[in-house]
Amino acid sequence: MAKNNIEKMSLWARVTNPEDRHPFFDQIEKLFKNRTGVAGLIIITLFVLTAILAPAISPHDPDENSLYDQLKPPVWNEGGSTKNLLGTDDLGRDMLSRLIYGARVSLTLGIVSVGIALVCGSILGALAGFYKGWPDNLIMRVMDIILAFPYILLAIVIVAYLGPSLRNAMMAIGIINIPRFARIIRASVIEEYEKDYVTAARAVGANNRRIIFNAIFPNCLAPIIVQASLGFGEAILSGAGLSFLGLGAQPPLSEWGAMIAQGRSMILRAWWVMTYPGIAILLAVLGFNLLGDGLRDALDPRLRD
Amino acid sequence: MTAEHLLEIRSLKTYFDVRGGVLKAVDDVSFTIEAGETLGLVGESGCGKTVTANSIMRLVPIPPGRIAGGEILFDGIDILKLPASEMRKVRGNKISMIFQEPMTSLNPVFTVGDQVAEVIQLHKKLSQREIRDRVIEAFRLVRIPAPASRIKDYPHQMSGGMRQRVIIAMALACNPKLMIADEPSTALDVTIQAQILDLMNKLKEETGASILFITHDLGVIAEMAQRVAVMYAGKIMEGADVDTLFSEPKHPYTIGLMGSIPILGIGKKEKRLSTIPGMVPSLFKLPQGCLFHERCSGAFTECRQLEPPMIDLGNGHIVRCHKYA
Repeated sequence: MAKNNIEKMSLWARVTNPEDRHPFFDQIEKLFKNRTGVAGLIIITLFVLTAILAPAISPHDPDENSLYDQLKPPVWNEGGSTKNLLGTDDLGRDMLSRLIYGARVSLTLGIVSVGIALVCGSILGALAGFYKGWPDNLIMRVMDIILAFPYILLAIVIVAYLGPSLRNAMMAIGIINIPRFARIIRASVIEEYEKDYVTAARAVGANNRRIIFNAIFPNCLAPIIVQASLGFGEAILSGAGLSFLGLGAQPPLSEWGAMIAQGRSMILRAWWVMTYPGIAILLAVLGFNLLGDGLRDALDPRLRD
Repeated sequence: MTAEHLLEIRSLKTYFDVRGGVLKAVDDVSFTIEAGETLGLVGESGCGKTVTANSIMRLVPIPPGRIAGGEILFDGIDILKLPASEMRKVRGNKISMIFQEPMTSLNPVFTVGDQVAEVIQLHKKLSQREIRDRVIEAFRLVRIPAPASRIKDYPHQMSGGMRQRVIIAMALACNPKLMIADEPSTALDVTIQAQILDLMNKLKEETGASILFITHDLGVIAEMAQRVAVMYAGKIMEGADVDTLFSEPKHPYTIGLMGSIPILGIGKKEKRLSTIPGMVPSLFKLPQGCLFHERCSGAFTECRQLEPPMIDLGNGHIVRCHKYA
């Protein structure tokens, strides 16, 4: 009976007892104590929920146009109606619904492009940091070349080559973000490489692949998580930028950047067509940046009190 | 495969090519270890003990290091000639290593149980359940209390002594024939040190594994080893069984080392602890002749000119000194 109790306790103790618990919980607690981090987390949670629940919560079909409801202002303006809470665009499509569906596009864009950058950057950076010598030089010089191009210009070049579409925009943003991840991982791997547990792993007969990805890589996760969060916001911004230039999402897909581009010519007549997508981008990027900063504070051992 | 000795090292030379020349970290070292025996390798910091150990495991980084010559016969096979994939099967399986720093030799992001399990997984084809049982068995062997719950701990939740036990459990997990212990007790406080040494002696009896025990502590050697080799500036200076070495040390360096062990109660008469004058020579500027002659009170002309050969005094007692020629 007593023993049973102890075993039941232990899981809970691991979460609550500061002596006994996994450092992961310390970091979560630290993140939750960070007000800006929590603000970021709330914004992102809302953003993700909106994206997932889009069909359920959007009042209209985002692509449904209506000749009678063109450029209707938001509900609190003169001439607005509760039918279209945030007004309509020049084709009579409901702004609110388009914004909600736009969250899906931005979320997908963020996941895919950060995913590409994270996977490729981690592998390249880890190999460069582990093998040093010529592989390091080769990989990192290519990364330097990518970094030498102005960010958005390189994306434009890649999309121009692949053809304008949302998929290609995601790939382009992913590719140009590879060097950031590669550099961070390389630096962490070089630092971890010197630690005794790496020699110990070699001494028990692990091969290089195992040493890099099973032993060293998990120790480099903290800076990657931070960079992924910050990169997510940046990817959304770049994606909106490319769509604004007509190189990303193609009509009629409701994407925030494309919506801004579409509303640009009407800014004096119908300010809401351009303003609300802008606010949506701002909030999403802000959320990821705040979370990124919060994570940095929580995960970086040098900033621990 | 039957061999005369479990491990036989023949004139091993491990050099490092560095700016400013060739650093002869291990130069012409030969020794043997028999099955079930503990060989102590003693010497000051930087005399090549660890490089010798790393050479056996082939963990010397190449470059800047290189094995310039010699053979390391383990069970009759020259492991210096094994391909890398075969060598990985030896490491952790037939020869394992116990490290000096228990605080940093475990990976901080995995549980200790997983880390021991990984060693078994690398070398044995067993089911998850069998591996788990074996991990718990290894923990029990190294006397970790409540092994079934301790395997879920992370390294930072354990004390230094417990972590060193985990490292020993890792080394034991695949029943190796030889364990290389590189100063396993140096980083621990004295009471824990005694426990760990006691444990290693018991484990050696239980498992029958041979141990290459590296230390700078002569007191530890006396407790652990059956035979001892004294290393100085990359060479073995004297080798003998432990009783002979302590009762009749022959080499002036060994005699000096023995004299510098503090003995309780003797201080009143002799006031000062004797020391060996001078400094260990830099491996870049090794003296001509005997490596020890600059610090040796009994050095004569020959010592300054000719390197002394290894002289066999009989009964397995060897010494590298002109005095006994």
